[in-house]
Amino acid sequence: MSAEKFDPAQDGHLEVCEGRPVVLSTHGLTKDFKKLRAVDNLDISVCRGDVFGFLGPNGSGKTTTIRLIFGLIYPTSGYAQVLDHKVPDDRLSALRHLGGFVDDPMFYGNMTARRNLRMLAEMNGEVSEERISEVLDMVGLSDRATSKVGGYSHGMRQRLGIALALIHKPDVIVLDEPTSGLDPQGMKDVRELIRQLGAEGVTVFLSSHLLHEIELVCNRAVILSKGRVIVQGPVSELHPANHAVKVLTADQGRALEIIRRMAPPGGVREDEGYIVVDSGDSFVPEMVRRLVAGDVDVLAVVPALEQGLEDMFLELTSGEMSAAQGGTR
Amino acid sequence: MSSLRREFVKTLFQKRTYIGWGGLFIIPFLIMLAFRFSSGGPHGQGGGAPDVGEQIFSQIRANGLYLMVAALLAMATFFLPLLASMSGSYTIAGEAESGTLRTMLMQPVRRGAFLMSKWFVANLYVAIGLLILGVASLIAGGAVFGLSPVRLFSGQEIGVWHALGLTAASYAFVFVGMMCVVSLATLFSTLTNSSLTAVAGALVLVIIMEALQAFSVFDFLQPYLFTSKFSEWTNFLSSPVQWTPIIKALINFAVWIVGTTALGYWRFRRKDILS
Repeated sequence: MSAEKFDPAQDGHLEVCEGRPVVLSTHGLTKDFKKLRAVDNLDISVCRGDVFGFLGPNGSGKTTTIRLIFGLIYPTSGYAQVLDHKVPDDRLSALRHLGGFVDDPMFYGNMTARRNLRMLAEMNGEVSEERISEVLDMVGLSDRATSKVGGYSHGMRQRLGIALALIHKPDVIVLDEPTSGLDPQGMKDVRELIRQLGAEGVTVFLSSHLLHEIELVCNRAVILSKGRVIVQGPVSELHPANHAVKVLTADQGRALEIIRRMAPPGGVREDEGYIVVDSGDSFVPEMVRRLVAGDVDVLAVVPALEQGLEDMFLELTSGEMSAAQGGTR
Repeated sequence: MSSLRREFVKTLFQKRTYIGWGGLFIIPFLIMLAFRFSSGGPHGQGGGAPDVGEQIFSQIRANGLYLMVAALLAMATFFLPLLASMSGSYTIAGEAESGTLRTMLMQPVRRGAFLMSKWFVANLYVAIGLLILGVASLIAGGAVFGLSPVRLFSGQEIGVWHALGLTAASYAFVFVGMMCVVSLATLFSTLTNSSLTAVAGALVLVIIMEALQAFSVFDFLQPYLFTSKFSEWTNFLSSPVQWTPIIKALINFAVWIVGTTALGYWRFRRKDILS
């Protein structure tokens, strides 16, 4: 599999992010379908070894972007880049470094999984029967390798799609909602496989609208809305700074009165029996002193749970989702 | 695996391939049975030249070689164009419909080469179909009515091998005519994501062209319609062979084949694959 570390000999000519070469990027990528702008001036960078989350609600332009990356559709302006190969200009060379699928992976139903893999993989160079067996084993399809794909379930086709993506050990694997339609065990298996690939240094570009999936398996992510990047960076840094504390006292009514008098407007709310105060770390000692001075026994002051990626996602894309809901009424 | 081999293998894995070829194999035997167990001829000749059809069908009981020509005459106006249309239509639209087009084009393959290999195999499918039709006719006609020297339309009698050679040339000519239909269907195939729409588009255009031949007011179009040249293969069955109409027809076919294929090629290279 691909090396995780920056190799100057191999990657010296590539752009670098976080000390690693950028292996997949888009530059001002834009796609219009008549009057609809599906992808709008998209700039993203995926570093070698990233498990990169591509997150957005349905219709935000994720699949269109992946089609642009694979050269299935032509951009209105801008381009995608795989290593130093631009798409669409140098599509053929770029595709030699890419594996993956877009939408539901589809195969020839009258052929077996093994024959499908052999036929499709040979379009990108020689492939051994051992390698075919290896990838079928990785995705748990060894025992159905000689079954016709026409009889496969959606989940099995997803797995076969991943097997095809892996077969040539590409530099970047692009997966479009690989867990969609899978049962819980299937989802767990696929996520585990992606995590494993990431641990081996394989760069994975994972499109998903499942927020917890991105949190579970990705180290970096971009949130997309209406074809535009809203935020991009390490998943751990996508959470906004949070200094809120939960306060529990013997007299919550009196405590709320005291805290409201000293806290800035909007900095205090009640949540499931607690008073939640969001006014910065320096506020807490003074708050406790005033509560005690006001004869209120302080039982507990604990950090409020961090705002999750989900909250942030909903906040960032709320306009789009409201519009979508309004449109369906 | 070369792209041609890959496309041919894919064709061999489709049931409709064998339905088409099976139909072409069975039809000569049906014609043979009809002539073996009845005294009359067919209700209509089904070709563009009824007098030629009458001559051919009337000779079948006397000489099995005529069955080869009769089968070609019967098939050239509808069944073969239908088969050619289906074959060409599946090239892109069929794959788009089943979702495999994107799977193929996500591999490092040139779109132009991809289309041309599909076009070639679609034509190969029709060529094999014609070969099956010819061989089945020869077997059915030879086994039941025997093979003997043939009297040409011009009156001369020629030997069995000579007659087989001229019949093979007639089949080859019809094949080139069917290449026009395959190319037209391939063009339609690049314009839609539904193979049925592509088949209908190509077939309707072929039928319109054939219908135009029926009205004298459209006679000025005849030199340009490839369907008006489909029956020119009968010129092989004269002595000497009437080369001028054959060559004119082949030039007409070539223009249609190159024109429609080039348009399809141009369109497909720029097409957004959204299927």
